[in-house]
Amino acid sequence: MAHQAHAYHMVDPSPWPLTGAISALLMTSGLATTFHYKTTTLLFLGTTLLLLTMFQWWRDIIRESTFQGHHTTSVQKGHGYGMVLFITSEVFFFIGFFWAFYHSSLAPAIELGGLWPPTGITPLDPFEVPLLNTAVLLASGVTVTWAHHSIIEGARKPALQSLTLTVLLGLYFTALQAMEYYEAPFTLADGVYGCTFFVATGFHGLHVIIGTTFLMVCLLRHTHYHFTSKHHFGFEAAAWYWHFVDVVWLFLYISIYWWGS
Amino acid sequence: MYRHIHALQQVARRTISSSVRRQLDNKVQNKQKLFQEDNGIPVHLKGGVSDALLYRTTMMLTVVGAGYVVYELVKAAFPRNKT
Repeated sequence: MAHQAHAYHMVDPSPWPLTGAISALLMTSGLATTFHYKTTTLLFLGTTLLLLTMFQWWRDIIRESTFQGHHTTSVQKGHGYGMVLFITSEVFFFIGFFWAFYHSSLAPAIELGGLWPPTGITPLDPFEVPLLNTAVLLASGVTVTWAHHSIIEGARKPALQSLTLTVLLGLYFTALQAMEYYEAPFTLADGVYGCTFFVATGFHGLHVIIGTTFLMVCLLRHTHYHFTSKHHFGFEAAAWYWHFVDVVWLFLYISIYWWGS
Repeated sequence: MYRHIHALQQVARRTISSSVRRQLDNKVQNKQKLFQEDNGIPVHLKGGVSDALLYRTTMMLTVVGAGYVVYELVKAAFPRNKT
């Protein structure tokens, strides 16, 4: 049996990059056919393929690490760099939407009445549900840190409890935000205010859902004894992502909800 | 009434903790043995029959999807409208 003379992971040949690429093709063409011809088949097929790809790809990574032991310290370090770079790219994604918001709100056009919020828009009260949402996410930042310390200390029950609490807080945020969206007195179609509000908070909400899912997977893995006190990078990556989601919300709250009202 | 609630709490606690203990034993070592078997099977198929089924379904959707995209793109590029 051949043995490698290095600490890195040469992965087995895998079909998931291909299926993932095809799913991206299907989703983008699917968007086009949905907009032009109102047929959602391609879009639905692409989304299904994307979900299948993600499930199997990440399942394989868990097998390679927890069951096959390929994730040496060097490999983990590389994953750390990767996650940091990915989150940085997401920061720039949000910078674009904040740029759009400040462009329109710092010098409001005459068509808006020369003021912000524009004439006719009743913004949400920042000290009602949005403030609760801020408290929920800040609390979830505390609970995820509690979970991390528990995992390091080998304290299984507190780790499971605090991680569960983090997930519940994430779900609570999503539920509250969904209710706010339903009850809001303005819509996406309400000029540049509606557009900047719903696109920025909407993409943030999507990231909350992604982060909550990532944390749920970590919770499931921890119940199955995948994490050790010294090796739990998947959880750390999820925690970093969650803190990023929290920070984006704080910027949204200060800029759009508070200053923007 | 409080005695009933307390009793119910005890039953629930015992049921949950005992079922949790039954279902969540540490099976990592068994998985490690399965996935470290020297049989040349790549990791995406190494789990067993369900892996192969899921793989075949995914690949079938990939091939059918790719073909369908080409069809839709050709249809969109060469419209057959009679006006």
